Amino acid sequence: MSLPAAPQNRAEDFDLQALSDACSERLKSEFNQAGKIATPIPLPIVEVVEEAEGVATIWLQVPTELAAAYKPGQYFMCWNPYDNKGKMDNRNFNSEKPYSVGNIRIDSTGIDDKTAADVGQHGRTQIGFTIKNLGRQSGELTRMARGDWLAIRGPFGTTFPTPHSGSTLILVSGGIGSTPMHMAAKEARNKLGNRVQIHAIMGFRNAAESHYVELMEKLCDSLTITTDDGSLGIHGYPTAPLEALLQSVEPQQTTLLTCGPEPMMKPVLQMAVDSGMSCYAAMERYLPCSVAACGLCMVGDKLTCRDGPVMSGDWLLAQDDFGQNH
Amino acid sequence: MAELTVEVPGLALSNPLMLASGIQGGSAAALHRVAASRCGGLVSKSIGPEKREIYPGPVCVEAMDSVVLNAMGLPNPGVEAFTNMMRENEFSKPMLVSIFGPDAESFANIATQMEDAGATALELNLSCPHSKPGSRSLIVGQQPELIKEYVSAVKQAVNIPIYAKLTPNTAQIAIEAGAALEAGADGISMINTVSALEVDPYAGRPIIGNLLCGMSGPAIRPIAQRKLAEVALAMRRGEIPEAPILAMGGITTGLDVARFIMLGASAVQIGSALIYGDVATFGQIEKELGDFMDVSGYKDLESMRGIALDSMEGLN
Ligand SMILES: Cc1cc2nc3c(=O)[nH]c(=O)nc-3n(C[C@H](O)[C@H](O)[C@H](O)COP(=O)(O)O)c2cc1C
Ligand code: FES
Repeated sequence: MSLPAAPQNRAEDFDLQALSDACSERLKSEFNQAGKIATPIPLPIVEVVEEAEGVATIWLQVPTELAAAYKPGQYFMCWNPYDNKGKMDNRNFNSEKPYSVGNIRIDSTGIDDKTAADVGQHGRTQIGFTIKNLGRQSGELTRMARGDWLAIRGPFGTTFPTPHSGSTLILVSGGIGSTPMHMAAKEARNKLGNRVQIHAIMGFRNAAESHYVELMEKLCDSLTITTDDGSLGIHGYPTAPLEALLQSVEPQQTTLLTCGPEPMMKPVLQMAVDSGMSCYAAMERYLPCSVAACGLCMVGDKLTCRDGPVMSGDWLLAQDDFGQNH
Repeated sequence: MAELTVEVPGLALSNPLMLASGIQGGSAAALHRVAASRCGGLVSKSIGPEKREIYPGPVCVEAMDSVVLNAMGLPNPGVEAFTNMMRENEFSKPMLVSIFGPDAESFANIATQMEDAGATALELNLSCPHSKPGSRSLIVGQQPELIKEYVSAVKQAVNIPIYAKLTPNTAQIAIEAGAALEAGADGISMINTVSALEVDPYAGRPIIGNLLCGMSGPAIRPIAQRKLAEVALAMRRGEIPEAPILAMGGITTGLDVARFIMLGASAVQIGSALIYGDVATFGQIEKELGDFMDVSGYKDLESMRGIALDSMEGLN
């Protein structure tokens, strides 16, 4: 039996758009003094798009203010108050985990006119979380449907530095690390147009889980795909094409951003540092509380939830506890 | 400059601002990070007999300005891992080690291991259920008989000072304080979180993964002051033994610290304020406290301690 407030119990003619509008409006009143949503606010899922095998994007309608407050690299805590059958369980299928925004769709009056092509379904602002099935809660999220609840709070954490005119960005992702790289590319392109060069390398385990390729193709001057098994693009890890790419850019004018598993990011950052460019990683750690309370997200002497997730490559490479799988 | 140092049993503090148990202090890295701030002392996460994982989230949220709700589930590395960590690390600030367990024997056992590993003082987190069937609906800290049993068991097991940490969720907190002190506690820590619940109307269910939660942060500051006054006045009147009190509940500024010292606290603990301002908060509070004392003419903490109780002598 699903619980009374679960979406499964809504009438057939239930007006989901009115509910989305009301919840989005409510978010506006929940910004605290620091400009954050500090308590989880449930929103009905507007749309779930399957991106690849075990990878789905969940779209939520939010006030434009919230989308505008988001900076690439930051994360939201996302909580499913019910599992996809409208029940609660105690085995981590309902839980709260950090996810960075993968995409934003904004109406034509919004902040992001370059995305007019992506105008949200009802001309309203939407944020998309692209989630890969990596465990109980993330797996449950990939199985959610339109109308199901997802509660968010944030945006939390540090952001990538804003690129300046005439600079070059190198974006290296592994797996679902694609999401902050996409937002970084999108923001740079929207702000600077052709006054920024963007080169991306996206690593996947295999072709079946590859996603965001078309989105990135549109935004980047060059895009290279690698897969661990060779089923798409170059056979191997992102470090191989990175070698050549680093030769072709001016280190002083270039910033490298990366997101993915730490064993992938470590050599990537090392190569960037060796070639003399500044570099930053968005850390994908489990953040149990997100509010600097539990102390369970330490890397070196920093809290990932507060001092991260974006941390400088130089600093990370000097930490003993950076570079393993988490 | 006002003198801020203070000594309480087992701990010589450079200022009265201690970290409260459960905020960040569960690992060496996290404790070193806090120790590097301007805090006067540390309190560890409550450590139990075995490693415990954190509850499914949300585990800690700011439900509205000034209101922090949490139900973490006492995640901790367990006494064995924690004592190993203590042996390998030297912290730059004194540390009160917080412990909990399912029964008095377990408390005593953990206390002994902590003393062997070099702990100089212990805080007993009495806000945990007793494992004995029939007494599970209440936490230990709500049952004076169990408080006595637990405190005496630990007192017999170790030679280092022990502080009993009290829950505010009782009718007359001086009774629980009296029980702890009569059983041999060397000091009182108060208050733990206020029992709470918050429903999200759209989701139609509580917003904390564990459903029930504890409340902390600035909103509980007046509750903490009231409970502190009840205990401090009972000590003044000789109704319960006198002992130092480590007070807490919603402290975020130097002026807040003064409120608690004026109600008889020897030192204070600060938890939720780190959620707002992180460890830099200690430096800010220290400066505010010093400035306040200078401008008001208090040369040290002793000259300020308990003065607000004088205005409440007539209360009964
Ligand atoms: C996230 C969190 C975890 C806590 N964990 C513990 C704990 O393990 N042991 C304990 O005795 N108190 C714990 N507490 C209670 C605090 O130590 C303190 O008594 C309470 O939060 C009131 O102080 P504050 O308003 O400054 O936070 C916890 C509080 C919070 C907010
Ligand atoms: S996630 Fe809890 S302190 Fe960072």
